[in-house]
Amino acid sequence: MKDMPPKWADKFLEWYCRPDLLEDIQGDVYELFYRSVKTGRRKAKLYFIWNVFRYFRWKNIRRTPAHQSTTFMTRSMLKNILLVWFRQLVRQPGNSFLNVFGLSAGFTCAFLILLWVTHEYSFDKFHADPDRIFRVMTHAEAGGTFQTYNVAASAIDVSSIPEVETLVSVSSGTRWPHELCFRPDGKPDECIYLNGVYASEHLFSVFNFPILKGAPDPLKGTASIAISESMAKKLYGADDPIGKTIRIDDRREVVIASVFRDIPLNSSLKFDFALTFDILKKQWGMNDQQFAGQFFNIYLKTNKPIAPAQLTAKLNDVRVLTAPFREQHLSYQAHPLVDWRLKAKFEDGKNTGGRIEYVILFIIIGVLIVVMAVINFVNMSTARAALRAREIGIRKVTGAFRSTIVAQFMGESFLIVLMAFAFSVLATQLLLPFFNTLLDEPIGFNILTGDIPGYLFLFLAGVSVLAGIYPAFIMSSFLPAQVLKGQIAGNASGSTLFRKALLVVQLTVSAGIIIFSGVLYLQLNYVSEKNLGFDRGNMIRLEPTYQLLQKFDRFSDMLKRDPSITAVGASSVNPLSAGGGNSGVTWPGKAADQDVMFTTFSCSYEFPEMLGLRLVEGRHFQPQPLDSARTEVLVSEDAVKIMGLTEPEGTEIRIGNSPCVIVGVVNNFHTGSLHQQRLPAILCRTRHEHTSAVYIRYRAGEAQRAMETLSKVHKELEPARTMRYWFQDETFDGLYKTEIIASHLAQMFTWAALVIAIIGIVGLSTFNTMRKHKEIGIRRVFGASKAQVLSMLFNHFSWVLVISMAIAGPVAWYIGHRWLEGFAYHIDIPWWIFGATFVGVATLIALIIWAQGVRVISTNPTQTLRGNE
Amino acid sequence: MKGTYLGELEELVLLHVGILHPNAYAVTVMDEIARQTGRTLNISAVHSVLTRLEEKGFLKSKMSTPTEERGGRRKRIFMFTAAGKRVLEEAMELRVQLFNQIPKIALQ
Repeated sequence: MKDMPPKWADKFLEWYCRPDLLEDIQGDVYELFYRSVKTGRRKAKLYFIWNVFRYFRWKNIRRTPAHQSTTFMTRSMLKNILLVWFRQLVRQPGNSFLNVFGLSAGFTCAFLILLWVTHEYSFDKFHADPDRIFRVMTHAEAGGTFQTYNVAASAIDVSSIPEVETLVSVSSGTRWPHELCFRPDGKPDECIYLNGVYASEHLFSVFNFPILKGAPDPLKGTASIAISESMAKKLYGADDPIGKTIRIDDRREVVIASVFRDIPLNSSLKFDFALTFDILKKQWGMNDQQFAGQFFNIYLKTNKPIAPAQLTAKLNDVRVLTAPFREQHLSYQAHPLVDWRLKAKFEDGKNTGGRIEYVILFIIIGVLIVVMAVINFVNMSTARAALRAREIGIRKVTGAFRSTIVAQFMGESFLIVLMAFAFSVLATQLLLPFFNTLLDEPIGFNILTGDIPGYLFLFLAGVSVLAGIYPAFIMSSFLPAQVLKGQIAGNASGSTLFRKALLVVQLTVSAGIIIFSGVLYLQLNYVSEKNLGFDRGNMIRLEPTYQLLQKFDRFSDMLKRDPSITAVGASSVNPLSAGGGNSGVTWPGKAADQDVMFTTFSCSYEFPEMLGLRLVEGRHFQPQPLDSARTEVLVSEDAVKIMGLTEPEGTEIRIGNSPCVIVGVVNNFHTGSLHQQRLPAILCRTRHEHTSAVYIRYRAGEAQRAMETLSKVHKELEPARTMRYWFQDETFDGLYKTEIIASHLAQMFTWAALVIAIIGIVGLSTFNTMRKHKEIGIRRVFGASKAQVLSMLFNHFSWVLVISMAIAGPVAWYIGHRWLEGFAYHIDIPWWIFGATFVGVATLIALIIWAQGVRVISTNPTQTLRGNE
Repeated sequence: MKGTYLGELEELVLLHVGILHPNAYAVTVMDEIARQTGRTLNISAVHSVLTRLEEKGFLKSKMSTPTEERGGRRKRIFMFTAAGKRVLEEAMELRVQLFNQIPKIALQ
């Protein structure tokens, strides 16, 4: 075989050498190699290598990297592309603004939803081993239906379940003894109300509420308290609170054993302090036996992850759910920690979701809004493709590859998306406080915490590709020869259809969201205007101390001296949220197997009248002394009907074991949220001291004056206590908090969707009008009126409108209907809402087209027809 | 003027291109210089002088037919341009003129 020079040296030469010199130089070194190889191969090779290196001179080195002719992007090209992009941006400010603004609006909505969803999903997940913590729910069967409570018998014995490692019982609530008055150090007249829990020993070991200072197991002692960091700050400022003594209710002394870190916002279990059950027992004045009969929140921690159904089965074992509970038709269910927040709704003994429905709904809305925004972008970029066809043609003629054009347009989309992204990150941060007030609960996140930047990055990448890919491939497919001759019609009409299809999607989404949020709004309006059977307005609820209740008559007299206060009463239950029913009512002629739930609550004699209940029969309670043998009761019409009484007045019934006599019948009224069916009601007369809240009715519009009087009187009678009061209207809104929030969110997203849809219509109609420039001119020359031309332009959209309404209507109806089913009392979706949406959207389109078309129409047709463009 | 200035090595290479006409290319020029003057130059040095002369317009080149000894590659054959001939003549004339002005006594 013929001797060959060293391959690598040859390759090196080929790599560095200027292509036009390569043959010459390579020829020289080869010739010298062949010549010298006769004298010695080794020497020849060394000589070859030497020569190759000697040729490695500045003059001979190629100036640009290898394979220049196949590279798809050079630096100067990149520079040019960026320049062209920038010029486009500046030259068409309206267009660029719409593009960026539309995307930003969509993104901002999506980010807010992302924050909210992350917040919702993060609930309770901060505990160690979240998959091993369960809450015991109790289903109580009555009359064939189940009521579910998140408490279980405190005496529950789970020692027969080997998987259960620890049990924590917690007693929580919103009123005394869970809400207590604390006096800051050195200010004995001030009173700070804080809410806490009473819990068994393992509260701080099962749940991840880190102890910052003091004993790690503060609830082990009998008279100790653990307080939160912020509570310590409120009471003691910068002083070390450990070992200090707190007097609960100004009498029971407890020692501060530990300080724990404030409970995070995304915790279902929230408290400012934790006390031992010993204290609760004393507070309630119960003996051990009575106390053992109480129901508390029971939390279980298992030693290994276990399926909730499996644990439920074990909880319902006869060793755990003992005979006395079975007789009361109770059953247990293990509710896993991860579902506490989002799947906490139980209907008829089954878990039927809960907030998760809203979370999923808003995820869908968020995705749809982003899709709409992206569609806008795609629509506007492809519509403008026609304008930029020449540019692409020239680029291709001068040697751009298809990949270059794709990269160019993908890059342009990316830059726009990036701009919108930056704006919306900013907007999200700015809107967050407003959003928090809308949600009525602060989101514990901002856009830069946790995993969120990661999601955002994924989002950015995904959206840029989505937004860029279609325009890029459409534009890069133009054939330069055709484009430069001005023939792009064929291609453009294909994408016109596509653009219309996209517009259908957009209008469908917007119309759907509009209709749905309309349904939400109407239902909430219905709820707030619904006649509950009593007058809930102009009423203040005051939480009294026992001492104040003992002085009720004096308190009432003092208040009523002011003409702005019309009535004062007291009740053991807030009629707005009386809670679960009572199945222990018996009456003459009640069938043995009849099991009916009633709402029963006791109140002072003034209460039914001040509530505004209308007497149907009999009499109201009288101020005379209580009948010691029989409790006087008022019943609602429903109750009379259920009991089947023909002459209710004077009928004796029993509630539990206490005998009662019906003195009157009042109209039906709601005692719970409108989600639930109204229950028949029984009001029992009781002493003022046995009630829990005082209700004050004031004259409409004189709330301020009434409040002044109230605080003055309260101060006089209870100088050492801060007055605690609520307006009943606010309490009422609280019943529908989730729905109100959902409605607020839906309204916000309706606006966003509307804005994006408008941008979409503007974009497409601009393009359309521009394309039909000449057609309009010709029509005008032949005598078409302005209206005719406008209707011609509008026709372009008529099918789009009809199709999208045909899709949006039924879908929105279905979702709205499903949502309304959550209310026992709800509106029927009115038909006009579909018509109104249709007309509204059509008007909007017509207005936009008119605004755009009128300028083109008014120009002299000779001008448009003469011009080349 | 830089463009018309002819360096010593350049002049030498230019002369050899003339001597080797019509077969002057880098390798033959290098060999011939070695044979005639005893100066061994590297091929790359000769090559760069040749291209420099071409850039200055004193030489022109064309590619030959492919040759066996170069592995099927062509040679770049160099020839004088009119400017190349003139610059050689001028250099020659200048040298003779100057040489003639040297007093005889100095050469003895």
